Amino acid sequence: MSAPRRAILLAGLGALAAGAASGAASAVEVAPGLFVLPGLHEEASADNLDAIGNVGFVVGREAVAVVDPGGSLAHGQHLRRAIAAATPLPIRHIVLTHVHPDHVMGGAAFADCGAEVIGHARLPEALAQRHEFYGAMLAREMGAAAAGSAALAPTRLVAPGQDEMLELGGRALRLTAHPPAHTDHDLSLFDAATGTLWLSDLLFVERIPSLDGSLPGWRRVLEGLARWPGVMRAVPGHGPPAVDWPAAAAPLARYLDALERETRAAIATGIGLAEAPARVATAEAAGWRLAEAYHGRNVTAAYRELEWE
Amino acid sequence: MPHRPSLPRRPVLLGAGLAATGFRPVLAQGIESAEAPRRTERWRDLREAIFGSRRAEPAGEALILTAPARALDAAAVPIAIALSAEAAPAVRAVTLVIDENPAPVAARFEAGPGGDLRTLSTRVRVDAYTFLHAVAETADGRLLETAQFIKAAGGCSAPLGGTLEAARQRLGRMRLVLPEGPPGPGRAVPVQVAVSHPNTSGMQIDQLTRLSIPAEFLRALRISYRGAEVMRIETDISIAENPTFGFALQGEPGGELRVEALDNRDRRFEAAWMLVPAG
Repeated sequence: MSAPRRAILLAGLGALAAGAASGAASAVEVAPGLFVLPGLHEEASADNLDAIGNVGFVVGREAVAVVDPGGSLAHGQHLRRAIAAATPLPIRHIVLTHVHPDHVMGGAAFADCGAEVIGHARLPEALAQRHEFYGAMLAREMGAAAAGSAALAPTRLVAPGQDEMLELGGRALRLTAHPPAHTDHDLSLFDAATGTLWLSDLLFVERIPSLDGSLPGWRRVLEGLARWPGVMRAVPGHGPPAVDWPAAAAPLARYLDALERETRAAIATGIGLAEAPARVATAEAAGWRLAEAYHGRNVTAAYRELEWE
Repeated sequence: MPHRPSLPRRPVLLGAGLAATGFRPVLAQGIESAEAPRRTERWRDLREAIFGSRRAEPAGEALILTAPARALDAAAVPIAIALSAEAAPAVRAVTLVIDENPAPVAARFEAGPGGDLRTLSTRVRVDAYTFLHAVAETADGRLLETAQFIKAAGGCSAPLGGTLEAARQRLGRMRLVLPEGPPGPGRAVPVQVAVSHPNTSGMQIDQLTRLSIPAEFLRALRISYRGAEVMRIETDISIAENPTFGFALQGEPGGELRVEALDNRDRRFEAAWMLVPAG
């Protein structure tokens, strides 16, 4: 990355609360005009401003599309400064890949830019059910640093099976709404110009995945995406800013496979919901960052989904 | 799509955003000391409302309540209650209370002539950081109480695991789990029964209408073996979706285990299994 851009970003950090700088990263241009602000493998805190997921933006000849506006107001502001440092073009589109707070609660930083807000057809319901809860959770985890954080309501929805194109001028992003996988409303983007598949949390690398949709469904979606032609790289929701596709999905696929197989076995042998987290897929979980915080939840979610099949 | 929510034409912030001023910090670690007196008072009020003026003694080793310190899923928190071998024969009922839930009495287990309450388990919704209390009532009218603090939030309003439609289609289906097989002479075995039922709390939002889903929940279960009642369970909205109950069963093998359930809409569900030893 060129020195001037970094200097501009660091200057921007002066506006953040003291101690916040540790949570701020610079935007990485993973393909021409496609920038990722890498997240940290941490839980949300006042220090990291909930900048724990990969967010970013795509620059066309006429306009900019934001892909997830960040995990808090401060994180969103940081992203907005990174955009301003990269291009003078207007922000016309904000894509929300799914409801999780580390991806949407920075929306407040973009409330005044007049952009359309795009999400999966089921995103409004997910926001209705969870936004208030996420606000309270962020306040608990970040304290005063959470102030002002909020999601933007979607203004345009993409339905499963009905891909839509997002025109940025000389560059079009294909938006795909998926059946239940990581969540029940995952939206991915494909930038044909650079062969970049922005998967957000459909792909976890290094940080342990979190299951909030459908375990068999997620496996099916990944298998389908692995066959897409013309994909040079993918942008995971957590992990490096860009990775090889589909090679980088192998650890995730292994984890989900072990989780499903061993959860089914636990249910079949009468291991209860209380005991399953310590006994299911623990070997496969051990290699992931933050496994101690999420693996038990994943087993619980898998168990509840599979026991009534 | 049967219903399409109307969308704003320009981006609008959801809620008002988190308040920028007047922010009240919340202690996330340990049991908030500032809250301790309020929590103590809450339990005193609840106990009086449920058990009247009867005095309760600390249960000590007689009654053990097990819950995760931090829930993995606030909408389905596994809870276990165990009575000591000495205490179990004298205990006729055990009540599970979730102090901060909108309907604090989660379940009341009452021993039938054919059973005891030595090990009990269920899954509950937990709405906010709270004390859980288990209270055992003995045949001679004593109350034994024990408590656990749990960090969990949002369990009462958490969305259903699947769609309400799918839940309705398998409404009333039951599962029986016998990890150690049927009981043998003088040998009690763990049993788990589960009823497919959305057990909605009235605090969940419908995916389509965005209105609250009406509370639809099991009120009572009756479990019997070889014609003798093992236990009755009174339940409420604090019990998780697909209500699941574990208990110990003793008696001769080869009998019929029967579960009858009743919900708040007076729907009855029933299932029976012959507990025949494998092989």
